[in-house]
Amino acid sequence: MNLKELGSGETKLETTISYLLIVGVILSLALETAGIAIFYRSHGNLDILLQDKSVFIQGRNFFSFLYQLFARGPMQNTGVFLMTLGVATLILTPFVRVIASALYFAWKRDNKYVLITAFVLIALTVSLALH
Amino acid sequence: MLDIVSLSLISVLIGFLGSLTGLGGASILIPILVILGVPVKEAIAAGMVSIIATSSGSAASFVRDRITNVKIAMYLEMFTITGAIAGATITAVIAPHYLYFLFAAFLLTSFIGLRRPAAFSATEPAIQDSVSRWLNLRGSYFDEAKRQVIAYRATNAIWGGLSMVVAGLAAGMLGIGAGAFKVTIQENILKLPPKVSSTTSNFIIGMTALAATSVYLLSGLLNLTLVAPIAIGTTIGAIIGGRVLNRLSDISLRFLFFAIVIYLIVQMLYKGVTSV
Repeated sequence: MNLKELGSGETKLETTISYLLIVGVILSLALETAGIAIFYRSHGNLDILLQDKSVFIQGRNFFSFLYQLFARGPMQNTGVFLMTLGVATLILTPFVRVIASALYFAWKRDNKYVLITAFVLIALTVSLALH
Repeated sequence: MLDIVSLSLISVLIGFLGSLTGLGGASILIPILVILGVPVKEAIAAGMVSIIATSSGSAASFVRDRITNVKIAMYLEMFTITGAIAGATITAVIAPHYLYFLFAAFLLTSFIGLRRPAAFSATEPAIQDSVSRWLNLRGSYFDEAKRQVIAYRATNAIWGGLSMVVAGLAAGMLGIGAGAFKVTIQENILKLPPKVSSTTSNFIIGMTALAATSVYLLSGLLNLTLVAPIAIGTTIGAIIGGRVLNRLSDISLRFLFFAIVIYLIVQMLYKGVTSV
């Protein structure tokens, strides 16, 4: 079966999106797994902490949260830092695939889908920047 | 209360089922977290991250296998994102016990179209309206269970899009992908085959969840000891589900879908009644 004849007809875009998602997910999983392992080494157990504020992540918005994450660095708690980085990578993965889609349709000069993907990208950016 | 390892293992199963049914996992995950003693708003916030994990994990293989229709997905995402931002904002201010009843009520919408025959007619693709034709909302995929190429055309693009605003609103409010509702819209309004509906829903729900995540981030509801094992478990489960889906018959998927939805409705109604 020739896959190029199937799908929505946008073979290159589908292949690119598929790879972007795989890379984003693997990177995120690796960071979270490493974070949990280090968290175990420093805490001595793997209990779920419902009251400890140090394991909650918070930011004015997603972009300021990302900035603070890299500006502060791991500090004392490397496990929590890596888990946070893993979650941030996971959140960024679909965002990156929208950017890739917008660029693809711009390259193909498919104006209808440039507008559609641009709308999605702007709405997403605004929602992630809201505070 | 569970530990991180047990939660990861449970999440593998949830991600697997969420991927197969197009529910996205959070609809199953949130009631289970609530039963285990996690506050409902924290459970919803964790659910949002699990949706992104499930969506990305399973969509990678669905897109690679050309079952997901990315053009239809991107068109529908315009509407779901708009609804999701509004919905997440409402949740941040609403009393928690209302969310249980809203959750159960929303799951009931999964039964729309229950009496419709399960098999999609592959021989006569739907006649398209002018907007669907203009947007080129069509495609084809190879169905491994039937061993044949299924061609399809979407129709009713405007009504399908507007219905997706409601799906996005519910998704943002309840921290679920609203996958059940999205699948129903795609099958009944856009007239897409079940597998295309399920996989395209999986692709869209990650984006809807992402739009709502910032609100939960701002509210300080994202607990890493919940979110990290859930993200790992649901992603692995979703990847396995993505490899199995195309080998299952449409009827098996439909049975699994309704069995899970009925269970969840009962659980959320019970929780709502006992928490008032």
